[in-house]
Amino acid sequence: MDRFTMEKVRKTFTNGETKEDILKGINLSLMEGEVTALVGASGSGKSTLLTIAAGLQSATEGTIQFDGQNIATMKSDQIRKIRASKFGFVFQFAHLVPFLTVKEQLLLMLDIADSKQKKVDKKKEVDRILKLVGMEHRKDSYPTSLSGGEKQRVAIARAIIHKPKVLFADEPTASLDSKRSREVMALLRDITKTYHIATLLVTHDEEMLIFTDRVIKMLDGKILAESN
Amino acid sequence: MKMAWKEMQKNKAKFIILGSIIFLVSLLTFIISGLANGLSHDNAGLIKDLPDGHFYMTEDAEEMYNLSTINNGTQEDILMNQENSVALSIQMGFVNDQFDKQRSVAFVTSTDSDLFEQVSSGEIILDRSLEDEGIKVGDTLTHNQSNGTFLVKGFVNQKKYSHTPVAYISTEDYQDIYQTSDMQLIFIPGTENVQQFTGLQAFTNQEFLKTIPSYSAEQMSLNMIVWFLIVISGMLFAIFFYMMNVQKIGLYGILKAIGVKTSTLFQMMWTQMVVITSIALTVSIAGSQIFNSLAPNGMPFSLTIETTLQLSCVFLIIGFVGATLSGFQIKKVEALQAIQQGEM
Ligand SMILES: Nc1ncnc2c1ncn2[C@@H]1O[C@H](COP(=O)(O)OP(=O)(O)OP(=O)(O)O)[C@@H](O)[C@H]1O
Ligand SMILES: [Mg+2]
Repeated sequence: MDRFTMEKVRKTFTNGETKEDILKGINLSLMEGEVTALVGASGSGKSTLLTIAAGLQSATEGTIQFDGQNIATMKSDQIRKIRASKFGFVFQFAHLVPFLTVKEQLLLMLDIADSKQKKVDKKKEVDRILKLVGMEHRKDSYPTSLSGGEKQRVAIARAIIHKPKVLFADEPTASLDSKRSREVMALLRDITKTYHIATLLVTHDEEMLIFTDRVIKMLDGKILAESN
Repeated sequence: MKMAWKEMQKNKAKFIILGSIIFLVSLLTFIISGLANGLSHDNAGLIKDLPDGHFYMTEDAEEMYNLSTINNGTQEDILMNQENSVALSIQMGFVNDQFDKQRSVAFVTSTDSDLFEQVSSGEIILDRSLEDEGIKVGDTLTHNQSNGTFLVKGFVNQKKYSHTPVAYISTEDYQDIYQTSDMQLIFIPGTENVQQFTGLQAFTNQEFLKTIPSYSAEQMSLNMIVWFLIVISGMLFAIFFYMMNVQKIGLYGILKAIGVKTSTLFQMMWTQMVVITSIALTVSIAGSQIFNSLAPNGMPFSLTIETTLQLSCVFLIIGFVGATLSGFQIKKVEALQAIQQGEM
């Protein structure tokens, strides 16, 4: 089922006199329970596409349909609410809050998403998700004491604890070695399936494509090919 | 506001340093302002303790009361018609105690009034500071120029003029010493309406204090220090939170990306600022009160709780402004840039 669709999305950056078309008419849909990979040469516009889809920057033209609404025309506070409650984010670096323990990071995310659960239930949920990403034994640790792979798993836990509908991941394995990368990718795939999330994932690493359901190849701001 | 608190717990050292600096700066501010207040009493307690009203001296005295001579006619006219008005003179001079030791005093004499001590001819009432120096009730003091003698009738608290203890004498004795029957000043209590009299210039109590040369100089420099310290503490807050915020730009970007409101980030900073400032101020209020009670007797120091609380409010406001100014960075942080930057 279509969860998220972009139609004729364009992005133009104006640099003084010169205008540069970075996205030149993107059509794309994400399905629930599927990991869609976005690949392509550096500078082809993958990150730009992902951040526009996630409402972190605006499109110059086009529509972005989610939940029956057009995100492209929403006010920034409306988009913020959607990001907080319906989207999840994983980036190249975990970007955890340095002064919160693993458990507190996740509780914070539930607060941000304005979860109405009771405190006990929130705590149970945190334990459950930490078990899922294999980090329950480190729930009282601070980020500085975790390895890169562990941080990334906590970041994934934070990205999914509020049960988002769409998960955006920009090179989540770029800072990890190949063993850790495979673990993280398997985790993302499993979570996508279990929670029926629509996941959009940018990656440079061909090896990781085995964990994805669809691959979209970009070149120069356009979608070149789509394959299953 | 759990995040604000968690951050302070995790980064105790940073916040304790900030708190200590604020504590020291505010304690210094309190002490200097206590000193300013104490000095102002020590300098001019005679005037400061009077009710609000107006002083009059002749216009040709050009704001120097000791050059003012109000003629008897004018004086009588005003004293008759203005309720509670009083004519007075102040002159710096000397008395010798029983051991012939010379003491500086400010001779004060006035027409009949509750506002100034009244003594009969040959008697004198002195500021308490002279009692501490060994003069007792019943002692006889002498005055060199007039060969007169004064019997010490009693002591009064906190009556100083130009840092000199006041000596109340009778108008007769005053005329004897200074060979004049004209008074220098007229004081009319009450602020409702300022009376104008031809040839006389009116001064509020505050304005009159400023005509004492040492008074303005002292107060101005001390008050300037107080305000400098307050401005410095505001800048401290601005700089501290600026540094903290610069370090956290990446974090702010990520928090914004995952949906945290900018206002939440501001509240976090304000909470920290209020907590730190409140703790620091509480400690320094306590410290300044201890200092107040321990300060040696001779030290002119007087700090009321009201003054401390007023200054504390100023500190809180300044801290708030400082933190908020540095917080404009938070507003500018783009979620996007932060994500594309590396790990913090
Ligand atoms: N804010 C901006 N202003 C101007 N140009 C920009 C801006 N952001 C991105 N670009 C340009 O858009 C192009 C695409 O950038 P983007 O980050 O989307 O590439 P990418 O496919 O993610 O590359 P990489 O694989 O290296 O991450 C680049 O040429 C980049 O310089
Ligand atoms: Mg990129």
